[in-house]
Amino acid sequence: MNNGTDSLLETYLFETNTLLEQLDELLIDAEQNGDFTEDNVNEIFRSMHTIKGSSAMLEFNSLMEIAHHIEDLFFYIRENGMDTLNADQKSELFNLMFSSTDKLREEVGKVENSEPLDTNIESFIDNINAFLTNLQSTGNGDVQAEATSGSSGSADGEDAVAAEMKLPYLLHIFFDEGCGMENLRAFMIVTSIQESDSSFQFYPADIETNSDTSEYIIDHGFYLGFKTQEDAENAVSHVSAAGNVRSYEILDKSDALEKKAAPVEVKEEAPKKTDAEAPKKAAKASDNKKKKDTPAAKQSLISVNLSKLDALMAIVGEIVITESMVTSSPELKDVKLDNFLKSARQLRKLTDDLQDISMSLRMVSVSSVFQKMNRIVRDMSKTLNKDTKLTIIGENTEVDKTIVDSIGDPIMHIVRNAMDHGIEDNVEDRIAAGKKPQGEIILSAEHTGSEVIISVTDDGAGVDPDKVLAKAAANGMLTKPEEEYSHREILNLLMMPGFSTNSEVTEFSGRGVGMDVVKKNVESIGGVINISSEKGKGSVFTLKIPLTLAIVDGMVISIGGSIYTVPIANIKQSFKATEADIVLDATGNEMIRCMDDYYPIIRLYELYGIEDACTSIEDGILMWVEGGDKSYCLFVDQLIGEQQVVVKPLPGYLNDFNIKNSGISGCTIMGDGNISIILDVVNVYNAARGIY
Amino acid sequence: MPEVMENIGLNEPNGAEGSNSATYLTFVSDGLHFGVHTDKVVEIINNHNIRPFPMVPDYVRGVINLRGQVIPIIDMRLRVGKPYQEITAETCIIVLEIGSDIIGIVVDSVAHVTDIDMNQATLIPTENRLELTRYMVTDENGTVIMLLECEALIADNIAM
Repeated sequence: MNNGTDSLLETYLFETNTLLEQLDELLIDAEQNGDFTEDNVNEIFRSMHTIKGSSAMLEFNSLMEIAHHIEDLFFYIRENGMDTLNADQKSELFNLMFSSTDKLREEVGKVENSEPLDTNIESFIDNINAFLTNLQSTGNGDVQAEATSGSSGSADGEDAVAAEMKLPYLLHIFFDEGCGMENLRAFMIVTSIQESDSSFQFYPADIETNSDTSEYIIDHGFYLGFKTQEDAENAVSHVSAAGNVRSYEILDKSDALEKKAAPVEVKEEAPKKTDAEAPKKAAKASDNKKKKDTPAAKQSLISVNLSKLDALMAIVGEIVITESMVTSSPELKDVKLDNFLKSARQLRKLTDDLQDISMSLRMVSVSSVFQKMNRIVRDMSKTLNKDTKLTIIGENTEVDKTIVDSIGDPIMHIVRNAMDHGIEDNVEDRIAAGKKPQGEIILSAEHTGSEVIISVTDDGAGVDPDKVLAKAAANGMLTKPEEEYSHREILNLLMMPGFSTNSEVTEFSGRGVGMDVVKKNVESIGGVINISSEKGKGSVFTLKIPLTLAIVDGMVISIGGSIYTVPIANIKQSFKATEADIVLDATGNEMIRCMDDYYPIIRLYELYGIEDACTSIEDGILMWVEGGDKSYCLFVDQLIGEQQVVVKPLPGYLNDFNIKNSGISGCTIMGDGNISIILDVVNVYNAARGIY
Repeated sequence: MPEVMENIGLNEPNGAEGSNSATYLTFVSDGLHFGVHTDKVVEIINNHNIRPFPMVPDYVRGVINLRGQVIPIIDMRLRVGKPYQEITAETCIIVLEIGSDIIGIVVDSVAHVTDIDMNQATLIPTENRLELTRYMVTDENGTVIMLLECEALIADNIAM
């Protein structure tokens, strides 16, 4: 495929996916309110129209067909208003729309993976059509009167048209069924009449530019309005000369025009009445509108290819390094350069700003991930018949784009698990336990310094430790006697490969691949997952994830000839100590007293086998670090200075050696081109104590 | 990423039809001649400052900074269980791109680039086989060249 089509395809996928996502949000909102507002209907109609158009252009026929039929459906709803639907039809409409967006997404997914599209969509389209026919035939009195009661109904329409054009003589034209492009055919008639005649109007008026009018013409015909009967009769010759005209008729509406005021008033009153009958609904609708208005306000956004941002980040990183290379160049050491130093400081500030901005470019809010959960909770509460609501807190929390991309699946798994295993099967059980009948899942995100904490809380049955143990024992996963397992260890069994508490596999979860994959995914982005649960009260899944992987404020230290970087966030204090300060514990491990507590000392040169390092406590320096639940002192040779460093991931080859477990989280390139190794204080401790 | 492949001059592997010929870069490590497919070779560098890396097998000598990219360095001698040798003027690092991984191997010296007819290559008898090699060929001077299996170089880590 050439580049042109590729970028076209990319744009198409991006656009269609965005539309489908918006559509999903809109559907969820609308379903909560139990109704589509007029704006909603228009929005759906427009989205489907766009999808139809662009899919047709790229010849994705199944997508085009589905979008086309939904468009038809909403065209009908737009024309007749949501009020014509009864409650059953509304809920059916919601289900139909959800399955349609799913189907569309599935097809788009196939396009993305360049798989062949589904050609067998007949049954699906039949569903939509059946619903539309159902609407059209069972629709309430108003619709029926207009659609089926023949001459009087259509005469009303004609009156209205006549009234609109204020012209007494109408020429009502119908085209052959299925001839296509009715609006353009109508326009051809208009132009041919224009050549001979001057004073006439036509309806719909925007046939040349708006292809939607063809549907109106198919349903209601095409109207030409003339001042005199003579003009109308002249036009007939043009009409009969034009192709594909099925029937035409001249209508004299001169008297109808005079008394038209009355019926029109009646018509306008009719919808008002229904509004008055349901004032609550109207109020609700306007409320919804208000609510909707704020998020719907469009921000001025552009979409940028992520690889370009990555490239930008890499270059900014290099600039920061080069800047310090220039300003701390050894050749300048003993030269007094006032102006140079001044400019160098200015440059330093600018590069810092540049770095901050380019970092913030990659930050996106987690709302897109959270919103998707709405849909999952909705679907599952229907299918599993567990009435559950999802509460979202802090969806505007921003994290690095790559992290947002990789937390979607883990969160989805957890929410599914909470729905499937967490929330009780029977409402009675909930009531008996003194809980609200409606289950609740809370999805929250918050910043804490350099981490973002995402938690999924459900108020369901919680984890039964005995059941988990029994299950693990049945699967042969226990490594020690059952009674030696602590509550925490039992919960961690949930995240072991091949563990699933549900005996049977359900549609949503229960294959036992869930939680261990979740754990792996979270760990792959440097995060930690934690479960806490109390039987009968519910469970909390907490994910702690670093804000960004790309940059760290670090303290550069030296041990022997090599340099290391410790994240500033982990350092509590650095201090000198003497041999006398050190005490030994029962097993001979060194400890030191800081702030009235004793902390173990880890000598990095011992751990890493560095030969030319300081070995005497007096010569080096102690650094009190804290990370996770570990707090201890690192013994290093020297502190070199604080520096922001761009984290380079470790080469894949080295990762194979389980390097993360030895306390190395990455490396960075220093101003002089040397490589510094970034330490992960939690894993340094684990490595030193031999516990992984 | 250094995109420039120093595809050291010669023919493309598919240049000669039927004869199944491929271009190999040969190098010497502890007196043995090895060959590595030039498609895998990114560049040859020498005189580079290697940053030692803790907690890895001894044959991983460390990492280097190659124009902003961190690349692990493997010592060919130690990798195949030969004695360690100090860096000399001849010592080179051959940077290889194997799949998505880029690694460097330290070799005693680089010999030359040669076309090898793959039909001539014979399996090395199992009992004489070094790690990482499966086939060998004899060139016109009678030198035996063992062909390096690049994938094996990175793959058997995972098993460790």
